Amino acid sequence: MVRGLFSFLRQTFIELGNLLLPPRYFAWQTVIYLSLFSWLMSLLARLLETTAFTVGLLATISWICLALGVGWALEANKARLFGIPIAPWVSGAILCLFLFGSWGGRWLQPALVAWPLVSFAVIAVPTLVSWDFSFKNPPPGVRQQLALLFCLSLLFSSWFQFYFRIQSWVRAYPSLVADSVENSAFVYRIPGQTIALPAGVTHLTVAEDLLREQVDDKPWPSVERWLLNLEGQRQVIRQRVRSQMGRTTSLEDSLWQLDFQPLSNGDGYTLKLWAIWSGPAASPSGYYLEKTCLLMPVNRGGLVPENAPPGYSTTQWSSLTCSLETPRQAGHPRGAEVRG
Amino acid sequence: MPLNDLLSELGIMPLRAIAFQSLLLMVAIVLEAMVLRQQLRLGYRTSMQYAATLNLLATSLGWVAFLAIEAVLPLALRSQIISYVLFNRFYTNSWLDALPVVVVVVAIAAFFITYWIKLQGLLWLLQLLGQKPVDTTPEAIEDNRRQRYERARRAQVEEQRGNSPRALAVLQANALSFTAILVLLLVVNQTGVVGW
Repeated sequence: MVRGLFSFLRQTFIELGNLLLPPRYFAWQTVIYLSLFSWLMSLLARLLETTAFTVGLLATISWICLALGVGWALEANKARLFGIPIAPWVSGAILCLFLFGSWGGRWLQPALVAWPLVSFAVIAVPTLVSWDFSFKNPPPGVRQQLALLFCLSLLFSSWFQFYFRIQSWVRAYPSLVADSVENSAFVYRIPGQTIALPAGVTHLTVAEDLLREQVDDKPWPSVERWLLNLEGQRQVIRQRVRSQMGRTTSLEDSLWQLDFQPLSNGDGYTLKLWAIWSGPAASPSGYYLEKTCLLMPVNRGGLVPENAPPGYSTTQWSSLTCSLETPRQAGHPRGAEVRG
Repeated sequence: MPLNDLLSELGIMPLRAIAFQSLLLMVAIVLEAMVLRQQLRLGYRTSMQYAATLNLLATSLGWVAFLAIEAVLPLALRSQIISYVLFNRFYTNSWLDALPVVVVVVAIAAFFITYWIKLQGLLWLLQLLGQKPVDTTPEAIEDNRRQRYERARRAQVEEQRGNSPRALAVLQANALSFTAILVLLLVVNQTGVVGW
């Protein structure tokens, strides 16, 4: 038992040694060690506070050796994915990480877009340039392969760029994400994602606050007077919402239109607040978000004078209560004729 | 949940476009290879390689052109493109009435530009593949220069005679692949296969 364990350990050590110590100096392990060595030296250089150039040069050598070494190792071990050698793609990825990783910010976009092209360069340079930097002329078969590969890598690069273009659309029009992309011939959303609310919800919340300022907790007659000039109030509210939203300026703000309509309901009113989306939408008639508020007159207890004569009616005050939900409805709240 | 976070981070991906384009490219390459093989009397392998290279070149240049032009279009037109890409339909705005005309004009322009790119691409490809290895000794260069000059003269004459079957073959190939793609797109749109 102990013997078996011992021989197993010994075997493992021998294999590890074979892996770590290359059979020849001209092997991929050497290049990886060079990369490690260069990286350690760059750390040392940074500790010793040498010039940025030294540190940068050593780090660059380290990255290039890493890309070369990993590519070589994969090639030596014949790593294949569906019959396609993956070594140049991995080397290209490492080089892109190195080239664009230090940019900060949105570095992933240029890195991914450049990846296929850099990988193509990794394949093409050894066949086109010989060791003494003179131009080699490969046989026509290889040239044909290279031309095909270049077109293919340009296509892959375009696909990545198209992906990032879609992301920039979504950043400009965040409400697009809230819609269904089931009918699209281009895009697919992997199911199970949390889907953001359309920005119209924010518009409705801002509008609710403005309405509250205007008609909540006010004498009822003044509320009735306020309601007489509906069109004017709509303009005012729209303008104020726009100026409030203007701080977080987004392209899609102009595509949301705010509207409201009071419907009489007993003594008071039901106020329907609508945020109408006039941008691209999945359903042909578009959609709108609806918030329902109740505007009711209430009698204030405690304000009645002690010696109130009979028939004295206290001033009624208004109260505005809004529901939290903003259900989404297809179409236009005022019918089809207004649209367009 | 980290996986969910990652998915949300990835957002909307153009996977259907990639799948569909790969399919259309395969159809186009096979059809064009057939035409090139018949018209230019090429081998099976050569015609496939030519057709694949030309189609991939035209497609990737098309993408580059689309991505460049889309960025500078007016906002209203851009939002129509967004609507088409995300929801497969145009929406009501000031461009809606002009769009059918725009689409047809763009499609016809795409056909001729693709044709030109493919023809040029075929010339470049033949040039790329037909080069003889360059000798570097002085006499060889002198010799080579004379040879090249003569070859160029001969090529000019040949171009005048030899260009037309090539141009015709590429035109036929392009027309065939565009027709096939159009039919496929119509069928897919009619049957609603897109809503996979």
